[in-house]
Amino acid sequence: MEKKKVGIFSFSGCSGEQLMILDCEAQLLDIFSDLEIKTFPMAQSNNRYSELDIALLEGSITTQHQKEELQEIRKASKVLIAMGTCACFGGVQSMLLGKGGWKDRFMKVYENNEGLYREMAAFESQPCSAFVKVDHLIPGCPMDKDQFLHTLSHVLHNTKPHLYPFPVCTECKWKENDCLLNRGLPCLGPLTRGGCGAICPSHNLPCVGCWGPAETPNTTSEFKLLLEKGYSREEIIRKFRNFGGAVIADRLRKILDKIK
Amino acid sequence: MKKKIIKTISRVEGHGGISVTFEGKKVKEVRVNIYEGPRLIEQLVLGKAPGEIINIVPRICGICSLSHKLAAINALENALDIKVPMRTKLTRELMLIGEILQSNALHVFYLSLPDFLGYPSVVEMIADYPGEVEAGMTLKGFGYQMNRLLSGRPVHGENPVLGGFGKHPSNKDLLDLKNSAAKLMPLAEKAAGLFGIFDYPAYLDQDTTFIALNPDDGKYGFAGNSIRISNGDEFPVPEYKSVVNERVVPYSFAKRASYLGKPFSVGALARINLFGERLTGKAGQYFSDYYNKRWKKNPLYFCFAQALEIIFCLENIPLLVDRIVGLKVPDVVIPKRQNGIGTGAVEAPRGALYHHYELKDGLASDCDISTPTAQNLDDIERYLFKAADHLIGEPNEKKLEFKLEMIARAFDPCISCSAHMIKIIRK
Repeated sequence: MEKKKVGIFSFSGCSGEQLMILDCEAQLLDIFSDLEIKTFPMAQSNNRYSELDIALLEGSITTQHQKEELQEIRKASKVLIAMGTCACFGGVQSMLLGKGGWKDRFMKVYENNEGLYREMAAFESQPCSAFVKVDHLIPGCPMDKDQFLHTLSHVLHNTKPHLYPFPVCTECKWKENDCLLNRGLPCLGPLTRGGCGAICPSHNLPCVGCWGPAETPNTTSEFKLLLEKGYSREEIIRKFRNFGGAVIADRLRKILDKIK
Repeated sequence: MKKKIIKTISRVEGHGGISVTFEGKKVKEVRVNIYEGPRLIEQLVLGKAPGEIINIVPRICGICSLSHKLAAINALENALDIKVPMRTKLTRELMLIGEILQSNALHVFYLSLPDFLGYPSVVEMIADYPGEVEAGMTLKGFGYQMNRLLSGRPVHGENPVLGGFGKHPSNKDLLDLKNSAAKLMPLAEKAAGLFGIFDYPAYLDQDTTFIALNPDDGKYGFAGNSIRISNGDEFPVPEYKSVVNERVVPYSFAKRASYLGKPFSVGALARINLFGERLTGKAGQYFSDYYNKRWKKNPLYFCFAQALEIIFCLENIPLLVDRIVGLKVPDVVIPKRQNGIGTGAVEAPRGALYHHYELKDGLASDCDISTPTAQNLDDIERYLFKAADHLIGEPNEKKLEFKLEMIARAFDPCISCSAHMIKIIRK
C-alpha cells in the first residue's frame, strides 16, 4: 500500500499540539515509518509538500500570509484536521473577537508603529474554519494524544472519528467528583467539550473552558446559575469568553438580552 | 555579487527564519526573522482577575507553560503580599525541575543531537543511534510524567494556583518520582558523555555577557530573587527592566534586549557559566571534568550545558522530595488585599523569564512579560554573523545553511514564546 502523505502545520499558538504528537512515544515511530510525513516543522528539516492526503493544523490565523498559506494547504489536501483550541475555535487570542479595539491593542504592544501595522497585514485571531472548510476537529489545550491517535487512525482508514460528544461534566461524574458549582465555584464544565478527563475539577479547580465550547450546551442556564451564585454579568462573560473564541461570542450575542 | 538565504528554521518551537545577506566577499547583514503572528497576550490579560491571568499566560508557550504560570503566580503573589508555606515553595521548585528536564531532553536529543551527528531529524538517527533516541524519549517522558503528576497534565497543567495548589501531590506519588529519577541517571550520563567528544569549532569563539537568576540559597537552581550578570553586577528582580532594556529595532519589527548596550545570552549556558561551580555530586563531577573557558565564548556548548542540567535535575529530585514529604500539606493562602504591583521571575528552560503586573480593585491594569528567546535574539544574530563571515568561502550552499541553522538551534530558540515578535515583510 502506498504511504499516505501527511503534513503537519503550525500557525499562531503555543506549539502544544506538535508537542503532543512528539509525546506519542510508543506510536511515534509508527507515525514516521508508516506515513510519509511531508512537513513537521518542530521535528524535521526539509519541510515541503505539493499534494497531501491529510493536513493537520495547529494554531489560529492572525496574518494575511497565514490565511493564504491555509488556503493553499486546503487546496493541496484531501482531509483537513484542526488540532487544539486555537485552530478549532481561535484560542485565547480570540477572546475579544467582535468587541473591537484590536488595532488599539496592537499599537500599545508595538509602540504605535503605524507602518508596521500596515506591512504586517495582521488581524484579530480567527479559527481555521473562518477561512476554509475543516473536516475534523480535535479539541484541547493542548489536545489529548489519545484523541489525536484515534482521529488519525480513523481518517487513515476512511472511517468516522468519534470524539466525546458530551461536556466535561460527564467525565467529572465518571470520576464521582463533587460538583464544584454546588460549592459556588464558577465551573465551566457544562459548557466545555469533554475529553480532557475533567482534570481541573479533579484537582478541586473549576473548569476554565480551555477545550473550547461543547456542541449543544445550555449556555443560558449556566449563565443564570452563575448569576444566582453571585457572580456579576461582566465576570461571567469574561470567563465564558477566555477560551470560547468565535463560537461563544456568537452564543452570548444571541442570549444576552434575554437574561435579566 | 549579492546573495540571500531566506528560509524557515525547522526543529525549533514556533516560527522563525534566518536571512543572511552577502555583498561581495563580505557579510552585509544577518537577521533572525520571526513569522509568529501577534497574539497580544499582555493586552488580553488587562481587566482580568489573577485567577484568570494564570490560566491565560501559560498559553504563550506549550514547552515552558509551567515557567510562565509560576513566574505569573510569583509576580501576583508579590503584588498581593501572599507568602506561601515551605511545602508549596518546594513543590513549585520540583515543578520547575520537571519542566527543565523535559525541555532540555527534547532539545538535546530530538532537536540538536541530529545536528551534531549530521542527520536531518531524530527519525533518521534512530537506526544508527537507537540507544540515544530511546534515552531522549525516556527522559522527556519522565519530565512529562512529573508535569502530569504535579500540575495535572504534561502541558498547561492548571494545578498550581495563587497561594498554593488545587491539590497537593501525595507523598506516595512524590516518592514514586524519587525512585524513578534514580533509575534514569545512566541515560543522562550517556548524553553528557556524547557531548564530551563533539568538536566545537573555534571560529565561533567570542566573548559575551551572561545573565541568570541567582538562587537565594546560594546553590544551583532555577528560582531566585536577584539577577546576576557575568560582569559582576547584580540587580533585584523588580529592576529587571534596567537589565533587559527592551527596544524596537527598525529592521526586524521585533522587540530586542541588551545590557549596557550590548547583546547577552540567557539559558542553560548562562546558568552553567555563572553558577556551574556550585554543582555537586555527579553534575559537579562532569562540570569539573569537561568545563573550560571556551564555554564562555562558544554557543554550541548550550547543549552540553543542558545535558549537565539534566543530571543536576535527576540528582535534585530525590533531595527535594525528601524535604517535601516531611512537611504538612498546607491550605491555599488567601490574599488580604486586592491592589498592588508585583514582579516575578523564574529560570525557564531557555533562561530568565520575567512577569510584571499591576492590580487595581482585583483586576490587572498593567502587564509586562519579558521572555528569554527575545533576550537571546541579538546574541544569536551576532554569533551567526561571525559564523557567516568565517564560512563565506563555503561553496556548498546546503552545508552553509546547515551550519548556520545549527548555531541558531543551539540557543534553543522558542519562538512561540515571543510575546513581542512578528513577521518581517520584505519589499
